[in-house]
Amino acid sequence: MPDLVSDSGQSSVVPLSPDSPTPVVCPLHHGLKPPISRLSLSWSRGNSLRVSVFRKPAEDGEAGGKVVEVKLGDGDGEIGDAQWRRIAYGSVSPFALLQSRKNSMLSMSRVSASSSPYGAEWWDYVMEYSREINVLLGGQKLPPSSVIEDPKTVLKKVEEPNCLKAAWELMEIFYADKQIQTWTPERLLDWLADYDSLLSGTQPTVHSKLVNFEKELVGLQAIEEDAKYWEAISSALAVGWLDIAVKMLRLHGSYQLDQLGSRELENGLVEAVAVLISKMPRMRPGLAPGKLGECYKTKPDFIKAWETWRAQITKLDCSAFWVQCDHRQTREGLKNLLQIMLGNANILSSATCHWIELHISHLLYIRPFTMGLESMYSLAQKCMQLKPMSSPHKLMRLLLGILGENIEVVLAECSRSFGPWIVAHAVELLTAGSTQADILLHEERYNLGGISMEELHRLVYAQVLSSHALTWQIAPIYLTSCMKQGMGLLEILLYKQPVQHNKILLKNIEICRLYELDNVRSKITKIAGVHQWKHGKKGSGVFWLQQARDEVRLNRIAQQLFDFVGKSISDESFKQWEGLIELLGSETRTAGGLEFLHKYRDFKRSLQKVRDGIATAAAQKAAESLILLMKNPSTPHRFWLPLLYDSLKLFNWQECPLLNVSQTNLLLNKLQGLSMARLRPDFIEADLPPQALSSVRLALATNLGRAILEE
Amino acid sequence: MAMNGAPHPLQVHRLPQPNYIDFVRWVPPLSALDRLVAAAVFDSSSSTSALQILSVTLTQTQTQTHPADLTLQSSWPSPSRITALSLSLLRHKPLLAAATADGSIHLIAADPVDLGVDSVGSGAIHAGPVSGIDLVEGGSEIVSVGDDGRVNLVSLNESRLSHRRVFDGNGLVGFAAAKWASPAEFATGGLGFGVQWWDNRKPGGPVSQFKGNWARGTASGIVHSIDIHPSRKHTVIAGGSSGTVFAWDLRWQQQPIILSGVATGEAQAHSPLESEVWEVRYDNYMHSLNIGNISSSRILPVMTCSEDGILAVVEQDEEPIELLAEPCAINSFDIDGQNPSDVICSLEWESIAILSRP
Repeated sequence: MPDLVSDSGQSSVVPLSPDSPTPVVCPLHHGLKPPISRLSLSWSRGNSLRVSVFRKPAEDGEAGGKVVEVKLGDGDGEIGDAQWRRIAYGSVSPFALLQSRKNSMLSMSRVSASSSPYGAEWWDYVMEYSREINVLLGGQKLPPSSVIEDPKTVLKKVEEPNCLKAAWELMEIFYADKQIQTWTPERLLDWLADYDSLLSGTQPTVHSKLVNFEKELVGLQAIEEDAKYWEAISSALAVGWLDIAVKMLRLHGSYQLDQLGSRELENGLVEAVAVLISKMPRMRPGLAPGKLGECYKTKPDFIKAWETWRAQITKLDCSAFWVQCDHRQTREGLKNLLQIMLGNANILSSATCHWIELHISHLLYIRPFTMGLESMYSLAQKCMQLKPMSSPHKLMRLLLGILGENIEVVLAECSRSFGPWIVAHAVELLTAGSTQADILLHEERYNLGGISMEELHRLVYAQVLSSHALTWQIAPIYLTSCMKQGMGLLEILLYKQPVQHNKILLKNIEICRLYELDNVRSKITKIAGVHQWKHGKKGSGVFWLQQARDEVRLNRIAQQLFDFVGKSISDESFKQWEGLIELLGSETRTAGGLEFLHKYRDFKRSLQKVRDGIATAAAQKAAESLILLMKNPSTPHRFWLPLLYDSLKLFNWQECPLLNVSQTNLLLNKLQGLSMARLRPDFIEADLPPQALSSVRLALATNLGRAILEE
Repeated sequence: MAMNGAPHPLQVHRLPQPNYIDFVRWVPPLSALDRLVAAAVFDSSSSTSALQILSVTLTQTQTQTHPADLTLQSSWPSPSRITALSLSLLRHKPLLAAATADGSIHLIAADPVDLGVDSVGSGAIHAGPVSGIDLVEGGSEIVSVGDDGRVNLVSLNESRLSHRRVFDGNGLVGFAAAKWASPAEFATGGLGFGVQWWDNRKPGGPVSQFKGNWARGTASGIVHSIDIHPSRKHTVIAGGSSGTVFAWDLRWQQQPIILSGVATGEAQAHSPLESEVWEVRYDNYMHSLNIGNISSSRILPVMTCSEDGILAVVEQDEEPIELLAEPCAINSFDIDGQNPSDVICSLEWESIAILSRP
């Protein structure tokens, strides 16, 4: 942290550049008694910093340390955390839809081998995507101020504008919307009308000028006497807010009924100007309700209309009525408005505040036929010379990048000012617009580890999503759209999720199912199974291991069970054990060891009955179970001896020999095999008395003798 | 339908919330004008949970009124994340039971006048997260089950919750859902598609149980939610993993009736439900009038919500009817008891959807 230490200049770790913002010091309340001996800092989830504070070990009964999580704000604060998540959730579907459309178009073009992979409908898809995202970014809707419209309210606000939406719309205008290429200046004008207020924070704008005037308006009696009134109208007109200009003109005193008679000529001039303003030809397909102007869709029509309109203005300008108008402010004010419409550069410059406003006014009145980014860019540079800005607003930096046709600057500005979300999503707009951008963003770069810029930005965004407990589930959508490293990171993400809670675990597994990550699924369920088993939830443990088809561990569990139960068969533990076997299920395919356990349980059960009574039938049954167990290949070798040792009583059965010759021979063979196996180094000695083997052999030999006699 | 005049289509209103919603329930209105909702919310920024009472604000358009927003009326801070929620009416007052991840259970009463919520009793009952809870109808007796394999009967005893352990599985079994059938009987469901039937008067273990090995050849799963219809106490419906919804009839215990799921075999290869079914509930809409006419062996319609974002009504031998298909999971839902055409559900992406059916 850049604190006092760095002042000495010797012990600083991170060199502080002088132009970095002043460090913010926030006190941390850890509530520990001094002395503090050690501090440790690490990243926690998301934007949280984990600060661990340690004391020197002391015998005073105080806590030895404490961990505090410090949440770091992301500075801007225009959009809250919950709103960011809402944007993240909402952009998933449009993004996924666009990706799937892109993929299907690419595969189509591979079949038809046409020159361009994207058809004409591609533009519609991109615009649909852009509009959906745009709606999502909509700011908070403001409540309608009142039902009856106040005649003195000049500016109407429907929703609180935000920079993120403004930035998105800028990119939509210049990259996505191919239908508006001919009327980009008009779109830029609309954009400025919506977002001029955002620029007011750093320097005065026409919007702030109008807001200030609106406040004074209520107290003014004869507003046409006030110079500010005329200034406000000319500013609104200069940036093309015709409706506002006309509305304000009609507040002119000469419209009042009691004055109409005496100021007829004056009123006629005001109205003439107002009509001229509202008849201004505009090169665009249509206008929003309430906006003024006459629309022309084709350039020749527009040029014709423009020339007629200009001629009308010139005619009015040279009219003889001006001399007869005795109200000086009105006369000068109106003349000024006519000059604006005639494109007087000086007056335009004084009527506007910000360079972008000047830019718009030039496009409107001086160069109405301007098209193409190149000429707009050179005009912008000219305007900036006239109206320099002290510290450029982030939206202006972005606009300059766009006008300068520099994709890298646009991306850098987006990422610097608006965060990873916009970069990941705007790439679609950028690449839709130009082949050059397409190549630039899709080229695999050595310095990025072989991935493209597009992939890099998606990965960065996915990383942001992954770090939050509520958004990690949507990260896979972005990761799977990354060809090179997406799947690897997705696997890491899935492995990182906690397995303690069934619900999260199941949500995790569902993602594996969706993306057909069967091996990840089986590993996760394995981890969960082991976790649950270790925490005493044997039932869940076995369940998850069965889900994972983890025969190795299930067998291990079966063996553990055997060890546990094999030592003592009290009723209580037998019940426990039986419950677990029940749980392990009768599905033989899950685990061979389990099959053995089932049989072993049956055997133990019948053996127990034998102990309780002396019924030969029960003993017969126990002997049968034993043979079944010994014949079964799934019975582990290490259990042969304990099984036989447990059955000593059966071999020495008083009434009759329970095993016939062939059965006894089988057991003797097994015993022989066991003696051989003992010589191998990996043999595990059973926990039995040393004479166990010989006593079993003796008992079997006795049984064999009796059986031979019997037969 | 179309003959009877103007059937308005299914209306869905999605209301984004500032928090994650774990559970959502309709609260029977305390006055004629209110629409109230109880929601168990989780605030990720502070990692705190709460039980909130929200009122539905309506807006009027030219043709109809529709829900526009949810307004917070009162909130009860929960000591840890709420893992189960149940609601009943006790002397015409809503009573809520909330179970948490640290094993405690809380009884919360809602005040009819100021809509305030207050805990009337709580206690630490389970050793781990409580996974299922149910309040008996018209009373305060609770049955609770957990991952720890315990089944408890919890009752209010002078502002403390006391419990009686009915069964302790010692971790060998895990339960995920519980539901009363009558004041003395209840059912539970859990790991391995198991469903158990218990009787208060017969201690020691379940009276009868269904072990989920019916689905031979397919992987087993977990029962997440069960429901019992008040007029069909012999049938338990259960919803769980892999889109499985089945009915278990106590009279034919060996033969569960499968309503949906991958286990249904080749006959119904395209089941719309494929992932975890989080909640199931009998849907008494449309059938409320003629319930007597339906044969008692036929399963009544069941509403389900699932991880793949589908809210559907499932009927025996019929194609499920999809009410909602969301891009994110639907974690819980509730059908309005008084007005069964209205359904509320909580979505994974921090929002609540309110549906009104035609």
